[in-house]
Amino acid sequence: MKTGVWLHGDSLSKRDPALQKYPTAPTVFVFDRPFLETARLSFKRIFFLYECAVEAAEEMRVGETVEEVVGWMKEQGVERLAVTESPSPRWREGLVRLREQVEVEVVPAEGMVVVPNGYSVKRFTPFWKDLGREWS
Amino acid sequence: MILPKFTGSREEQARDVAEALVGLFGEAREEAKPSGYVGGRQEAMEALGKFRVGGYAGSRNKLGGGVSRLSFYIRHGVLGIREVAESVRERFGKSFDSVKFWQELGWRQFWRHLYGQLGDGIYVDREVSKVPLGNGAETDLPKEITEGRTGLVCMDETVRELVETGYIHNHARMWFASFVIHFRKLGWKAGERFFYQHLLDGDPASNALSWQWVASTFSHRAYLFNRENIQENGGMEWCARCTAKCPFDATYPELERRHFTK
Repeated sequence: MKTGVWLHGDSLSKRDPALQKYPTAPTVFVFDRPFLETARLSFKRIFFLYECAVEAAEEMRVGETVEEVVGWMKEQGVERLAVTESPSPRWREGLVRLREQVEVEVVPAEGMVVVPNGYSVKRFTPFWKDLGREWS
Repeated sequence: MILPKFTGSREEQARDVAEALVGLFGEAREEAKPSGYVGGRQEAMEALGKFRVGGYAGSRNKLGGGVSRLSFYIRHGVLGIREVAESVRERFGKSFDSVKFWQELGWRQFWRHLYGQLGDGIYVDREVSKVPLGNGAETDLPKEITEGRTGLVCMDETVRELVETGYIHNHARMWFASFVIHFRKLGWKAGERFFYQHLLDGDPASNALSWQWVASTFSHRAYLFNRENIQENGGMEWCARCTAKCPFDATYPELERRHFTK
């Protein structure tokens, strides 16, 4: 099955863990129209993202992310998708909608420390004391 | 719709991108100019290679201090957070400076962890504030603040640098947030939006929860600063050319009396 990699704003370079796993896969990045219409990011931010995406992604698109990714998959003959995990609620909603239509593999994001499942603290000091020993 | 990969100089590409994405960025009158900070992994690797951690712990709070200016690359995954930490370990080993730098990187992962847990809850007061705050009804900051026309050189210059470059030092972020929240009694959400729109490293969790940290809805106490703090960490240049009656020129107990007494 041909795998494609969806790059997003939290993981926008060749360092992307999903792309590291599938280094020859075609790649896409989408400027999400509904989000950008309301977020009104400065042009400097948009252009910075463009410069990152130009280098990282084979194709850049503008529109509603899920529709664009699915459309790109069809055009490229991509049958399954790999993407690096993001904590963003908008990304998670997109993932649910994508999974209704296509097979998606989520690759863990790069971390400095490993945060165990279910781990919960309110402040940084105990977080770093518990998990940051490698770096202390 | 496919967005083409444009060619030409940075300025020419910026014009083409602005045309292709019209309606999807900024204010109507915003000029489509790129920041001096360049996106992409090639630039990021160069910036990482130039960064020296020596002196970081002692100087990082100063505006001209030895901070890395890698935050926008890390925020967008152009550099991996572990990649940056390991680069410092391999090149400089473990030292007081390295450990402090790693701790600051650790904050990034902490914010990401909280974002995963809280989702859009990052935009809700996490705790009851420890001091009186404004009613938070504003959706935008007043134009005199966002256009850098308060007459307070330190605040106006901070805004100018943010809008022109997309980056300001962390200490300037704290001063500005404290000014907005505690001196002007404006809501942290309006300030958070302004930063998010302009900061190249604008990250939802890091930004929103740091504004809450200053407000004291995500910390044990509110963050205040005074003129002495600005001069110690930002130098004398701003104050030397400021003619405003300085609202920051007081001791901390006096500022607390003025702003935190109901």
